[in-house]
Amino acid sequence: MPVAWLIARAAGLVALALLTVSVTLGLMVSTKLLKPRWQKSLFGWHQTLIWTALAMLVLHGTAILLDPVMRFGLTAVVLPGAAPWRPVTVAAGIVAGYLMLALAISFRARRRIGQRRWRLLHYGSFPAFALALGHALHAGTDLTGTTGLVFAAIALAPVLWLTFARILMPRPKRVPSSPAGRRVVATERAAVPPEQPRSGALTA
Amino acid sequence: MRTVWAAVLSVWALFAVVAFLAWTRQQPTPATSPQSVPGAVIVKGKNGTSRLVVVPGASAATTHATTRTSPVPAG
Repeated sequence: MPVAWLIARAAGLVALALLTVSVTLGLMVSTKLLKPRWQKSLFGWHQTLIWTALAMLVLHGTAILLDPVMRFGLTAVVLPGAAPWRPVTVAAGIVAGYLMLALAISFRARRRIGQRRWRLLHYGSFPAFALALGHALHAGTDLTGTTGLVFAAIALAPVLWLTFARILMPRPKRVPSSPAGRRVVATERAAVPPEQPRSGALTA
Repeated sequence: MRTVWAAVLSVWALFAVVAFLAWTRQQPTPATSPQSVPGAVIVKGKNGTSRLVVVPGASAATTHATTRTSPVPAG
């Protein structure tokens, strides 16, 4: 029984599912479709699930390292383009993993880097999701043919729908509750001239 | 508490997917293949004469169970 190979595939699939749910929850928070009392809880789950997805990603990489058939060295697992098999799609998965790591760390460093940079960095969740899905569909051995199309549709549908909703819906004015948040908004308002209103930024 | 729930659910999901993948793993091809064809060998007799002997067909696609390791990725 090829245990390492089975764990590698399963961990990759679970990591993709967790990333999909995390991105969806982030977009739900961003679009403010739910009641405000749900927002804090959803945002918490959004953070937790990205860390859980990263843990699954580490397991995915470790299992591939240990698989006797794949023969992937440490360089091939951590360095994009160094894989001996399908280097482009494997590189897509590795880059998606690094983006996920940066996003997960950015939650912890949000106050240090500032709201604006954090939001800009959060745009990275879209390429991370797209690269991870592309990696699963092309480098993976399970999401092929009709199964792959069905899974891709299930993963893409909520993300695309919420992204379009986020772009098209009018953004309500935020009223921060904490004094620190008020200071951030006041600083941003002072930095932007009144005749050039800031366009609504997209966060996932 | 949220982290614990996420970890527990993820590990259970992992086990479930591993079990499903192991269950749906492709089994070795059965030995009795309908594509088996008879063959022929030339046998030399004691007096130097050769004769053609027809042997029953054997499947070339039969895989030995011990030669199967991890499945090679499709592509």
